[in-house]
Amino acid sequence: MMMTEQNTQIPSMSLSWTTLAVIVVIGIFSLFSLWMGFQALSSDRPEQSTYYLLTGTVGFAAIGYMFFRTKAVTTRKPDVPKVDVVTILECPACELKRVRDFKRGDYIHKDDEPCTRCEGNMVITGIHRRAEPEKKPKQ
Amino acid sequence: MINVILQVAQVLGGDNSDIGMILQTLFSLSFIIYLFYAQRIQAMTMLRQVEVTLRKVKTIKDEGRRVSIEMVKEVGKPERDPTPDVDRFLEQFVISPVSMDPAGIMGKLDQLINVSDYTNEAEVKAIAPQATEAEAHNIENLLGAAHALNYYYKAIRHFYLLGKKTMNVYIIMQIHMILPLIIKEIEATSSAIQAFRNGMPIGDGVGPLVVSKLMRGHELIDVARETVAAWVPYEGRTLILLKAKGPGGSVGKPGAGVAKILGDDKKEKKIKAVIMIDAAGKLEGEPVGEIAEGFGAAIGGIGVEKYKIEEAVKARDIPMYAIAIKQDISHVIAPMVEELHKATDTALESVKRIVTERTQEGDHVLVAGIGNTMGIAQ
Repeated sequence: MMMTEQNTQIPSMSLSWTTLAVIVVIGIFSLFSLWMGFQALSSDRPEQSTYYLLTGTVGFAAIGYMFFRTKAVTTRKPDVPKVDVVTILECPACELKRVRDFKRGDYIHKDDEPCTRCEGNMVITGIHRRAEPEKKPKQ
Repeated sequence: MINVILQVAQVLGGDNSDIGMILQTLFSLSFIIYLFYAQRIQAMTMLRQVEVTLRKVKTIKDEGRRVSIEMVKEVGKPERDPTPDVDRFLEQFVISPVSMDPAGIMGKLDQLINVSDYTNEAEVKAIAPQATEAEAHNIENLLGAAHALNYYYKAIRHFYLLGKKTMNVYIIMQIHMILPLIIKEIEATSSAIQAFRNGMPIGDGVGPLVVSKLMRGHELIDVARETVAAWVPYEGRTLILLKAKGPGGSVGKPGAGVAKILGDDKKEKKIKAVIMIDAAGKLEGEPVGEIAEGFGAAIGGIGVEKYKIEEAVKARDIPMYAIAIKQDISHVIAPMVEELHKATDTALESVKRIVTERTQEGDHVLVAGIGNTMGIAQ
């Protein structure tokens, strides 16, 4: 069976209208709750205010969680890692060493370009990822 | 409008309002709902995480397929569009032989792998007729990585859709629990795309790299399929160096190579030791490129090559030493990191030390560098 885009089922990650409606309802409800929490607090009813404030806060926390989770998913583009690779060349005659970017066709022990110091040919002695610069410790 | 809302709030929030009771009821209700639907909520949360991974895997898998097609077109210069052939390759499978009666299973596996190898090689030559031998091997490796990514994607999608359909927390848990490990493997495989496309040495190539440093400039003999050996004098001994034939991506047939060399030496019995060098998985906390020495056949894979080496060594009753170069799973098929490149020099010193300390002058020592020799000639 050929793999095509048609039979590849990937769900949509965007914020649906239902989710948006739920967020709005919870938002209004939480806003009311917070408002009444402060009202109760100013009216010397601390027990009631605790309930109201708690409900309002939980409501906003839920909205924040839903919103940021969705945003993180929709805006984040997964990337395929690519790294810098270098080729190390050495001249067996004069021991001159040179490092340059990797080129397709390079391989270890390949007789490569002529030496710039003597008349010999440089040999590829190593191919590896470019070392990442060390992060400075935060002071 | 705001004034109206505030007035309503003030009325509702008054001393005689029942709104407080309503809110408390709703608050209690949410706990009751959670009591009954906790598992469903948990399932939804886990599904969400699987969904995010699925998206990431799809991007990587598509990239693997795109790069494979691009490389076949660029290097192989086929007359027709290779896309259907690449897609067919990505859906390829191998059925493992029955293991209920394990006697003879190694022979079956060996035959199966050989058929798969020869067929894939012929198919790559057909879809990329202009590719050199090394490039054809690199295409094979690249298609292998794309195949693995395709499989990961389909397996995760299967559990995701099944979980979504049934909302069964135990089905979702099966994939969710191993998700971090799968992500690590997928990221490792995705790093291989760049390496395989360009023919760069990879982390698994440390074994062949060590051996190639001793082998360079000496006469080479083909001892098995895509496997070469060289006889090199060292400190009064003779080192028989064996590795996969580079610089194309190949692991060769070290089992067949070792068996042939030891078999040829059956009468003279000059070979007194076997040393194997291979990449080994490091544990968390261990540094990359750490060298460890041990005993036994240092070789991974399905087990066929290891079996052949063990059988051949057992028949001669000679010691087998192992040198492991530690690396993370994310390094194995990714472009070689500097630490591993430097570690090959240390491993080379270990080989020399074992040879001088544990063998006598006049002895022959078989040194096998195990791994994928992509980007490493001899």
